[in-house]
Amino acid sequence: MSVLEIRNLHAVVEDAEILKGVNLTLRSGEIHALMGPNGSGKSTLAYVIAGHPHYEVTEGDILIDGESLLDMEADERTRAGVFLAFQYPVAVPGVSVANFLRTAVSNVRGYTQQAENNGNSPAVIGSNLMPMREFRRELNEKMKEFNVDPSFARRYLNDGFSGGEKKRTEVLQMAMLEPKFAILDESDSGLDIDALRVVSDGINKLATSDRGFLLITHYQRILNYVKPDYVSIFFRGRIVQTGGPEVAHMLEERGYGWVEKEFADEPVTA
Amino acid sequence: MSVLVKDIAPGDVKKSVEQFSEATVRALSAARNEPEWMLEKRLAAWAQFEAMPWPKSDDEAWRRTRLTGFKLDNFQPYAQADGKPATVDALVQVELDEMQSAGSMVFQSGDVAFRHNAEDLSAKGVIFTDLRSALHHHPELIQKHFMTEVVKPDHNKFTALHAALWDSGAFIYVPKNTRVDLPLQVILHQSAEGAGGYHHTLLVAEDGAEVTVVDDLLGGENGLQNSVVELVVGDNSVVRYMNLQDFDHSTWNFLTGRAIMHRNADLRWIQVSWGSRLTKAFLDLDMQGEGGHGELLGIYFPTGRQHIDHQTLQIHRVPHCFSDLLFNGALKDKARSVYMGIIQVHPNAQKTDAYQRNGNLILDSTARADSIPGLEIEADDVRCTHAATAAQVEDEYVFYLMARGLTRPQAERMIVQGFFQAVLDRVPVESVVTKLERVIERKIGG
Repeated sequence: MSVLEIRNLHAVVEDAEILKGVNLTLRSGEIHALMGPNGSGKSTLAYVIAGHPHYEVTEGDILIDGESLLDMEADERTRAGVFLAFQYPVAVPGVSVANFLRTAVSNVRGYTQQAENNGNSPAVIGSNLMPMREFRRELNEKMKEFNVDPSFARRYLNDGFSGGEKKRTEVLQMAMLEPKFAILDESDSGLDIDALRVVSDGINKLATSDRGFLLITHYQRILNYVKPDYVSIFFRGRIVQTGGPEVAHMLEERGYGWVEKEFADEPVTA
Repeated sequence: MSVLVKDIAPGDVKKSVEQFSEATVRALSAARNEPEWMLEKRLAAWAQFEAMPWPKSDDEAWRRTRLTGFKLDNFQPYAQADGKPATVDALVQVELDEMQSAGSMVFQSGDVAFRHNAEDLSAKGVIFTDLRSALHHHPELIQKHFMTEVVKPDHNKFTALHAALWDSGAFIYVPKNTRVDLPLQVILHQSAEGAGGYHHTLLVAEDGAEVTVVDDLLGGENGLQNSVVELVVGDNSVVRYMNLQDFDHSTWNFLTGRAIMHRNADLRWIQVSWGSRLTKAFLDLDMQGEGGHGELLGIYFPTGRQHIDHQTLQIHRVPHCFSDLLFNGALKDKARSVYMGIIQVHPNAQKTDAYQRNGNLILDSTARADSIPGLEIEADDVRCTHAATAAQVEDEYVFYLMARGLTRPQAERMIVQGFFQAVLDRVPVESVVTKLERVIERKIGG
């Protein structure tokens, strides 16, 4: 049982304050949907949690089980158990999915560290990685489980992938990296109904009692497939309302125009 | 091993190289007991060299690559073997051990230091020998092909100098419908410091022949290498050629390489430019027979203050030929690269299919890459494209990989290696791929 805590988080980019005091607690086993209009700062929150160097945290804290992530680089946060599924995963030509994932998994599961402790030279290719045979077996199993074609192992990461293929590959990566907390940034955007089902199925399979999900979305659509425990409304850099699934239904009925009217005049306080 | 001209008695030879002259050419040829016809060829080339001006900074080909600080007289040419038993440098031994080849030959300081044929090449009629021996044993073939058609001495100032002073080189001849499965490996190790080397590669693949040749170029400390590569690619022949240049970072390196491709010839040329202080390489595919398929693929990775310049020409003289060019380079520190390329389609060359791409990945803001692609098209029914890209290793890429648990150095390494992969994927010899990956790793690391 782990806890991800976001306490009074303020963040700026190029002198503009985007996050204005975010408070959120996510526990293992919970699915927390974060909904808000475009430009409200939802994606920024995802990037700040994952440690994007572009943003500067000016106040507040992000903690996993009481340990602050703020001084950690992005890769250290991933090793601490955070996973960010990107809205727009970048293509990395020449780097195969399998090669990349083997390095990533080896780091996150501690093979690399273990090899260093044993004094292995990183120059010996493969000496600090998860054994190939073991990795292959697991990758093949998970590709099958998460509906990713086996040919993707050899394909270059996100290079020439369709929107749906990219999002599915993000879910596959999540399955391989086994995070404590997964933040999904608009994983439903741009997907047709079939791709949305596949991605939702993947999330549901991974939504085990030892893992928490922060599901960032603009639309209520994905919540027909993935059932949240909590739904929060994000507006102008902070959470303005939290409740159960009924909040999502209310949003669908009233639209974001209602949020605008309801919360626009509220003073922003820390 | 060899001696430099400066070490030779009597004194008149020594005097002659303090400034290069016709007498230098005569002395070099005499020291090697060359036949008269080769001396004549050298002297004619020397006259052409003297008649041609040095490149000027307003010549289009030399506008971005200056020869400031280059002085030919500083580099002693090799004269003759000194009779000492040859030993192969440890560096070279590694190269030999790593490749499974049909035959290998090592030139150290202008002379053959090692040769070994794993296969009985002569039983097939394949000639794999050094050029000096070939002058005596295969004079007709050398007189027919050596700098007569593919690269003529007056091609440019450096080829004229090469024709006058060439010192070492491989002659590879594959007869009609003959196939050599494993690669033939030629290693040039320029071991003496401050020397001027003039290495030659002459490959003749007759109709229907199949062969893979790997040229490794090493050493060259404070020296000059002015090499020429000539490939004759016969009707329906399949040639894979790799020129792997990894000279010391103090070497001045000039290369002129050309391939003449005949009907339905299939050539893939891999050009690797890792080393040298300055490289100026002219590389041409000259498609003279219909149905030819030519690929010219290059990678470079200058660091420090290295300067690497490739100038390419894809000549389509006849219809129905395909050519594909891809040069990818990464740059670090204060390095500089130049890529200039032209696809030239002659009026008769209808149905030409030609591509040209140059990508540059700039790892430090102090590095600079110039890319000047070009098309000269005189036929109307053709498909030609060219593209040049320059990119920084962007934060978004690094962040994406770091968000998957890769450290920053791992992420940057993976992006750079991935960038070279488009060319590495097309390198047909596995041990060469491994070697290239190792150099890329080394260069990224510092």
